[in-house]
Amino acid sequence: MSQTPHSVIIRGRGLKRYYRRGIETVKALDGVDIDIHTGEMVSIVGPSGSGKTTLVNLLSCLDAPSAGELSLDGKLLAGLAEDRLAGVRRGLLGFIFQKFHLIPTLTVAENVELPLMFLNRPTDRKATLAVLTSVGLASRADHRPKELSGGEMQRVAVARALITNPKVMIADEPTGNLDKATGEAIFSLLHSLVKNQGLTVIITTHNLALAYQADRIITIEDGRIVKEERGER
Amino acid sequence: MKHITLASKNLLRRPVRTVLTVSGVSLAVAVAVSLGGFNLGYREALDRSIERLGFQMMIMAKGCPYEAATMMLKGGTGLLYLPADIYNTVKSDPSIQSITPIFVGIAAKEGSSIRDDVSTQSFSIISGIDTESFMTMKPWLKFKTGTGYDPGRWFEHNSTTEVVLGFEAAQYEQRKVGDSFYATVTPNGQTEVKTHEFKITGILDRTGTQDDGTVFMPLKNAQSIFNRTNDLTIIGIKLKKFGAVELREFEGRWLKIPEVQVVSLEQVKGTLVSLVGTAQVMIAAVAIIAVIVAVIGVVNTILMSVYERTGEIGVMKALGAYRSDIFRLIWLETLAVCTTGGLLGCLIAIVGASVVEAAIRGLINLGVQGSIVRITPGLIGGALVASILLGFFAGLYPAWRAASMRPIEAIREGE
Ligand SMILES: Nc1ncnc2c1ncn2[C@@H]1O[C@H](COP(=O)(O)OP(=O)(O)O)[C@@H](O)[C@H]1O
Ligand SMILES: [Mg+2]
Repeated sequence: MSQTPHSVIIRGRGLKRYYRRGIETVKALDGVDIDIHTGEMVSIVGPSGSGKTTLVNLLSCLDAPSAGELSLDGKLLAGLAEDRLAGVRRGLLGFIFQKFHLIPTLTVAENVELPLMFLNRPTDRKATLAVLTSVGLASRADHRPKELSGGEMQRVAVARALITNPKVMIADEPTGNLDKATGEAIFSLLHSLVKNQGLTVIITTHNLALAYQADRIITIEDGRIVKEERGER
Repeated sequence: MKHITLASKNLLRRPVRTVLTVSGVSLAVAVAVSLGGFNLGYREALDRSIERLGFQMMIMAKGCPYEAATMMLKGGTGLLYLPADIYNTVKSDPSIQSITPIFVGIAAKEGSSIRDDVSTQSFSIISGIDTESFMTMKPWLKFKTGTGYDPGRWFEHNSTTEVVLGFEAAQYEQRKVGDSFYATVTPNGQTEVKTHEFKITGILDRTGTQDDGTVFMPLKNAQSIFNRTNDLTIIGIKLKKFGAVELREFEGRWLKIPEVQVVSLEQVKGTLVSLVGTAQVMIAAVAIIAVIVAVIGVVNTILMSVYERTGEIGVMKALGAYRSDIFRLIWLETLAVCTTGGLLGCLIAIVGASVVEAAIRGLINLGVQGSIVRITPGLIGGALVASILLGFFAGLYPAWRAASMRPIEAIREGE
């Protein structure tokens, strides 16, 4: 890998994101400076509506800031069209969301292989099984999503995000739809990926106990960072 | 995995909805193909039927030209007669190459039919002809040969007991040469029916025209059994030179006879084509509406499935799908629906051609024999290309909608 450990992979400066809601302007994010380092796990916490999702969307180029600058893997991103942003994301970032959005007619393995189709990369069942093994679902490769529990579906989503070998995994409330124990299991799965595979993880969560197991905890309120702490990891 | 695999799996997600949409397309295509086949087949059948009449013009009693036309081509009721001496007068016209007098009458097939069918089937069309001039007009008429048909020959000129049957007339009656044929007629001016027995001297080979269903007998005898010794139904005429000018001149010479009309078969064809044209416009309108409804159905189905998958599309985009990937996916789904519908529609049209034919015949009197729905490979090819094109265009909007979904909004809406 080109990066030395702890080099900055995502850098945001003065990030703002305003939404227009009628005549009102909602300052969802109001000036955020942030650095994410390779191989760290960062939790973003804060009350509902504080701007967590808005922030991770900007950090992952799913959305463009109203003001401020962002560089990703050393590249300064500004004014890129959707497809160009997609080009930057492809293969570099992996995503999981609160909802899993698995395709019901595809098997677990096929769902995991889906991103490869978009990246024009060949599929390799062995590699797929290896990824499924890393999320503890090797035995479910040929099942359909509806045969799985919520936690298992989220594991498939993790595997789907991992299949392209991303450097950074963005997880926006990945435990939001899961019960406490299952949520903790998903969290420790991400945790182990950071530890064993050098993945960088940005996770937003409501569960403070989980959040504090990360390397760093960033608390935001009303679109601003109000606190940055070191975690237990 | 390929885009097409994913697209087809997506379609299987809601099988009932997909099947309904495909059915809509296939029905529309089937209607369109049948209509096209009818257009092709009917022109051909009409040309064939008219050519096989052997004459280019006919003189007949004044009346509706359309009725005259169908009567000639198909045989029908409500026959009008003209005085027989007109034949002798017209015969001397110098522009005539050949001329033949025909007397047509309708006889009941009393007790002779082994089948118990609808009323129209229990009548025979009797044509009284002068074999010599008739054969000059229709040199292709041949007697069928083989067991049951040999030795086929025309009746004696002045026989009162001999008839020749057209191919279908003989088949329908299950008659062979030498068998008896019974015809029950009501002589003109009388109320009592009279049954006549005839010997079949020959059975004609199939021609694909109205002659196949006709019973032929000597002109004199036909006139006499119908008690119309001085009447004719049609005088068929072939001119030495046939063109618009000759036709007009000929008409001018003979239209002065008050009771008759001179009908050229080109005219007949025109009348039939325009009559059927009206029906065709109606069917075409139905076909076009069916196609529009089907396309709306396709667009609606695909749009619905796109909206249902908003979240998935968002995730696919987040995971690296370009706009073009999503566009292609949705577009392929539409193409698959329309192509499958097109294929099925063509199959339905091929299988259902005979049903359509019967339906059209039931709707209007076409005045032709033989197959009128002709589904050609070209027609099928055209229909398939059209279905694919429809899919091509129907898919544009839903595919564009899906491709334009912004990933974050899609993911949020999908939650
Ligand atoms: N598309 C949008 N249009 C208008 N307002 C939005 C939009 N997305 C988010 N917001 C607003 O921005 C603020 C931050 O939202 P969000 O980042 O989703 O918060 P969180 O993820 O912390 O719950 C909220 O007030 C929310 O209502
Ligand atoms: Mg959120």
